[in-house]
Amino acid sequence: MSTYTKKQVSDLVKGTLDWDTVHLMLSMPKDEARYKLYMEVLQENVSYDDKIILAVGPHLNIVESSKDQEIIIKCDCGHEFGHYSKNWKLNALIYVRDNVEKMKEVYPELMAPDTNWQVYREYYCPSCGIMHDVEAPTPWYPVMHDIQPDLKTFFEWLDMPAPAKI
Amino acid sequence: MNDLTNPVEVLGIDAGGTMTDTFFVRADGTFVVGKAQSDVDEANAVLTSSVDALAHWDTTPEEVFPQMVTCVFSGTAMLNRVVGRKGLRTGLIVSKGFEDFHRMGRAIQCYLGYAFEDRLHLNTHRYDEPLAHIHDTRGVTERVDSKGGVVIPVRLHEAREAARELVEQGCKAIVISFLSSYLNGTHERAVRDVCLEVIKEMGSNIPVFASVDYYPVRKETHRTNTTLLEAYAAEPSRKILANLSQRMKDVGAKYDVRVMASHGGTISWKAKELARTLVSGPIGGVMGSRYLAEQLGYENVACSDIGGTSFDMALIVKGKVSMHQDGDCARLVLSLPLVSMDTIGAGAGSFVRIDPYSNSLKLGPDSAGYRVGTCWPAGGVDTVSVTDCHIILGYLNPDNFLGGILELDVPRAKQCVKEQIADPLGMSLEDAAAGVIELLDLSLRQHLRAMISAKGYSPSDFVCFSYGGGGPVHAYGYTMGLGFKETIVPAWAAGFSAFGCATADFEYRYDKSTDIGITKDSTTAEKQEAVNTLGACWKELADKVMEEFKINGFTEDDVTLTPGYRMQYLGQLNDLEMSSPLSDIGSPEDWDKLVATFDETYGRVYADAARSPELGFGVTAAIMRGSVETKKPSIPSEPDAGPNPPAEAVIGERPFYYGRKWVTAKLYKMESLLPGNRITGPAVIESDATTYVIPTGFETWLDGHRLFHLIEV
Repeated sequence: MSTYTKKQVSDLVKGTLDWDTVHLMLSMPKDEARYKLYMEVLQENVSYDDKIILAVGPHLNIVESSKDQEIIIKCDCGHEFGHYSKNWKLNALIYVRDNVEKMKEVYPELMAPDTNWQVYREYYCPSCGIMHDVEAPTPWYPVMHDIQPDLKTFFEWLDMPAPAKI
Repeated sequence: MNDLTNPVEVLGIDAGGTMTDTFFVRADGTFVVGKAQSDVDEANAVLTSSVDALAHWDTTPEEVFPQMVTCVFSGTAMLNRVVGRKGLRTGLIVSKGFEDFHRMGRAIQCYLGYAFEDRLHLNTHRYDEPLAHIHDTRGVTERVDSKGGVVIPVRLHEAREAARELVEQGCKAIVISFLSSYLNGTHERAVRDVCLEVIKEMGSNIPVFASVDYYPVRKETHRTNTTLLEAYAAEPSRKILANLSQRMKDVGAKYDVRVMASHGGTISWKAKELARTLVSGPIGGVMGSRYLAEQLGYENVACSDIGGTSFDMALIVKGKVSMHQDGDCARLVLSLPLVSMDTIGAGAGSFVRIDPYSNSLKLGPDSAGYRVGTCWPAGGVDTVSVTDCHIILGYLNPDNFLGGILELDVPRAKQCVKEQIADPLGMSLEDAAAGVIELLDLSLRQHLRAMISAKGYSPSDFVCFSYGGGGPVHAYGYTMGLGFKETIVPAWAAGFSAFGCATADFEYRYDKSTDIGITKDSTTAEKQEAVNTLGACWKELADKVMEEFKINGFTEDDVTLTPGYRMQYLGQLNDLEMSSPLSDIGSPEDWDKLVATFDETYGRVYADAARSPELGFGVTAAIMRGSVETKKPSIPSEPDAGPNPPAEAVIGERPFYYGRKWVTAKLYKMESLLPGNRITGPAVIESDATTYVIPTGFETWLDGHRLFHLIEV
């Protein structure tokens, strides 16, 4: 099995890792130390102390709250989006591009979708304003719930003790 | 000492990524092999390696170079330049609206050259950086249709503007490649002339390459890639070879350096189309095999070359090497005729790991390469390699690895194999290491068998040649039970590619795509037209061949021209390459002769019943080969000295693990063995550059040409 350094995992997260190593990581069975190193790297990128359990976006993590050990979703800036079993998007600021003018801001005219068929919904952090996600659904479609991890099984796979309130 | 009655005549050079091998041959066929670490300055490495080789004969390059008649080079520098994308910044002019096709890589360059699993998984697919950046690409309005007719005349003012911008942006060369230009090259040539004019006006002198002048063949991605390589990678190589040639001249050389090309011939370093030498290393071995087979009367040969990182296989059938029309290399599709070879990424230096999910051994796909394995701490490798297993089991001599240049730490290798392989599998150290070797042998054997049977042959029709640094170590393993007529290991296995380069002809080959189709309803006039078209293509290609030979001072009398063609039954996808039965064609009856040759060959390659003459016949490409006589190495010929090895060849004994037990293997020195000597396994025959393993149940004897014959008893 391959092993990687923390620097390599950090470069992977930043997107600066050389392709040959990325290719090897993709092709080879996952190395045992990866979860630990990955979490360490993520933890170093945030200002809060709550323990990161899993990433759900480039700046959005599932963490174990240091206050009450609840498992919640948290922005890098510290803004809390609520319990991890609920859709965090419902607690985000939402901007909907649903007409030609708004579309023109991101795509040239005639190269954007017809907003009667498709709109863009952008989800922002209410505290720091970072964009966490963009959806491109039909206008009537409900807010999508992208990921609902089964953390209990996940920690069984990792063969590690799971946080108390999972 | 230098012996003037038996001068050194031939030099073959194989400048690989890690080692530069030289192979010197005297007139009577005796040879020496030299090795040196490869260098950024290739001329340095070649000279160092030459000194190493000639020391065996107590002579020096200064004494030997002036008497030599031929020198062939093959190297990986150009390939590395392409893989590392370190070539000349090149501008590309294409048909307007098609600016993106080059970087789209025919949608297959994202997985080309990958291991099977990585081809299947989309997340590993990736496009390498294109040879010409999109910002250095310009479209010019023009269009030629699929019959060669002009649909939109070329707008030369756009070409003028494009050329000016590309030069201003800092491009060091310009390549022009239009759609269907192989059918009608007028647009490309007009744009080429405009570019040259603009470049001159701007006071620059960068080269311009029109695809039609170089590779007039169908498939624009292939053609564009190949023409781009000519500018991007071959121009810098030309300078390096000029330097090598000059450095040799300084030492007194009078010959012209030739370079191994992908079609299996060698061409001058001054050749116009130097990109043809991009792939050369493994081809040398195949050419060497063909030459040996021809000299010794073997018709069918399976060539197997095992190095540290890969296993290359090729077939010689009835003395002929089969060719790929569009080979691919360095993850680029190319229009280069290429000796067809099958390569798998498993070699003597492959890494060994345990797959944690299936708890089974996994070899490669990466390898330790020059870093050997955990047995060489200075190499900095922590993962077990196949070499480690060989060292532990007594296959290789840790005190004389690569002639003793490297100091190996056997206890460290044992510890690593125990921790990484044996313990997780719950096996003994020896059984785990033996399992690794069995697995490698098994996978090589399966690939060899698959390659032969997929082409409709049986191993029993073939003699297997085994060479490369790792060939003799594994020869018994990957041929066992396959039923080859014979397995042959040349005593110079490690320098075999360099030897092969020296045996290759001085030969240019040019191809041109054609669209000729004749059915049973075609009239005589139509056949006449077909013959005229093919004849005109041959003439055009022959002129190109002669142009190249003239650069080296040859005249038409010196050159033997061999026309060829690729033919298919109309509507089928595969075509076959054929040497023409006629040196020139002119009448409709000649067409029938071409057809008869194809029909006969098709029946032989596939089956008589598969022939489909009722579909009609098409010629997809015209081919012209031109060659001149060159000096080739003679095969050594020594008298029989009886079955018992001389006393000085016996150098001791070593514990050797095979068949799940330790046995005592006798050790021999390869150089001291004499023709006729017969050795029964378990035995290990050592030489500086390679190790030949004969386990229990095998026997080997050395013939008068210094070829070992391996026999299962």
